[in-house]
Amino acid sequence: MTNMNEVASQPGFGTSPHAATADLDQAAPKMVARDVNFHYNDFHALKHISMDVPEKKVTAIIGPSGCGKSTLLRIFNRIYAIYPGLRASGEIILDGENILDPKYSLNRLRSKVGMVFQKPVPFPMTIFENVAYGIRHHEKLSRSEMESRVEQALRGAALWDEVKDKLKNSALGLSGGQQQRLCIARGIALKPEVLLLDEPTSALDPIATSRIEQLVEELKKDFTIVIVTHNMQQAARVSDMTAFMYMGELIEFDRTEKIFTKPDKKQTEDYITGRFG
Amino acid sequence: MSTALYTTRRIKNVIAMALSMAATAIGLLFLAWILWETLSQGIAGLKPQLFTKITAYREEGGLANAMVGSLILNILGILIATPIGVAAGTWLAEYSMRSKLGPTIRFLNDILLSAPSIVLGLFVYTVVVLPSKWLTNGDVTFSGIAGGIALALIALPVIVRTTDEMLRLVPGTLREAALSLGVPQWKLTMQILVRAARSGIVTGVLLALARISGETAPLLFTAFGNNFMTFNPIDKMPSLPQVIYEYTKDPSPDINVLAWAGAFVLTMFVLALSLIARFAFSRSKVSHD
Repeated sequence: MTNMNEVASQPGFGTSPHAATADLDQAAPKMVARDVNFHYNDFHALKHISMDVPEKKVTAIIGPSGCGKSTLLRIFNRIYAIYPGLRASGEIILDGENILDPKYSLNRLRSKVGMVFQKPVPFPMTIFENVAYGIRHHEKLSRSEMESRVEQALRGAALWDEVKDKLKNSALGLSGGQQQRLCIARGIALKPEVLLLDEPTSALDPIATSRIEQLVEELKKDFTIVIVTHNMQQAARVSDMTAFMYMGELIEFDRTEKIFTKPDKKQTEDYITGRFG
Repeated sequence: MSTALYTTRRIKNVIAMALSMAATAIGLLFLAWILWETLSQGIAGLKPQLFTKITAYREEGGLANAMVGSLILNILGILIATPIGVAAGTWLAEYSMRSKLGPTIRFLNDILLSAPSIVLGLFVYTVVVLPSKWLTNGDVTFSGIAGGIALALIALPVIVRTTDEMLRLVPGTLREAALSLGVPQWKLTMQILVRAARSGIVTGVLLALARISGETAPLLFTAFGNNFMTFNPIDKMPSLPQVIYEYTKDPSPDINVLAWAGAFVLTMFVLALSLIARFAFSRSKVSHD
């Protein structure tokens, strides 16, 4: 049960010369989870999770397979709700409102919180349509406005130069890495505030992976990012904050630097050093 | 790493391989035999008049009215079955998740899939042909419409099943990706999932068409047959399988030859449909991943 306040009160926090630290200190929490529990039918998958996701920072969630990291991510935009038998309780506050409240409109939530999945899943349409599809659902734009929005999104996802001459081609013809950047473009085209990345590079080769990681670095200027990864080096490279989860519990949540150099909990240290998991 | 183990495995492999190859050969043998027989027997009847003259002229005639009738009946059957089948299959795949009705309907659909076609013909006779007597002052009203409905009942479960299965093959992540953009379920279904499964669904419709184009039994008490050319769906309507069935029983050898020719034309039609279906599906596989 670690949160930003506890983090701030820990010795060493804010005194580090590392620039990001001072910055992190001032970052307001964008999304706040309070005592979140999650059940798959009778299985208690997440136990009393509380954490503050800082605004315009990258927060990584790490942990062994089955620890609940993806489950937690999937609560942040309530995508779990499409399957029967899944139940979340507690509160997740986004801009002062509890998104787990059934009255909170899914439409609104999903335009504020975008998501990119493990496997690239372009829609069976043209590259242009893939990006325009989501925008069209939320906004009525003229042709030229739409074109500039799509270009902006593709530029934001560092894909524009590679696809600008083949926008009318099927998105299924792109490489895996390009498809994943297209999915990111599709997500940021809605101008969300939070971007959830669920192991976005696990299906990609090292070069495509490094492009996505650079992109994450760029994107945090505009978006609050939460990334689930089972690649610890990736978490260390891209994130400002890291949460370590184990068996449905949030074991430790702190600055990435601290988690990877001197974690408070033995379990975290064991995992980081590869002694289990 | 004992050689004995490898030897046993190799022997088992050879036996299994030989058995499966023999099974394939038996299957193919009969297929080739059927095709050869229809071709060699039917070729004598393949004259221009087969496609230009009607059955009323018997030996001097052809099968033109039966071909036209079959075409109309098949189109009617597919036109009725496709919208219902695709909608029902979509419901099963996309909406029945939270309801107990889903598995039940899937099971009932499988029963309908294997129902004897003559039973479906009798059913349509009872619920369509007989009641329509009231509209026509007591005349028995066999019709193309009734035949089309009977064929639709055969095509329907095929279309429901393929639509359901093709949609369930669409990766779940595609649904999640669309829903996470805030797109509602109906838009996701109509604009993304059906598009992703489109060629599979079309294949299902083509296979259903191939299936019904060879049906005789459901047409006996519904379309009834007609020795003249008709384009009127509320008239009695001839069909190729039914004419083949009647002509094979005929004592005249010249009529038997026409039956063989009709069988050959029908086989080629079904073969062409299957090839188109295969082609459509093999193209779709490229677009799935």
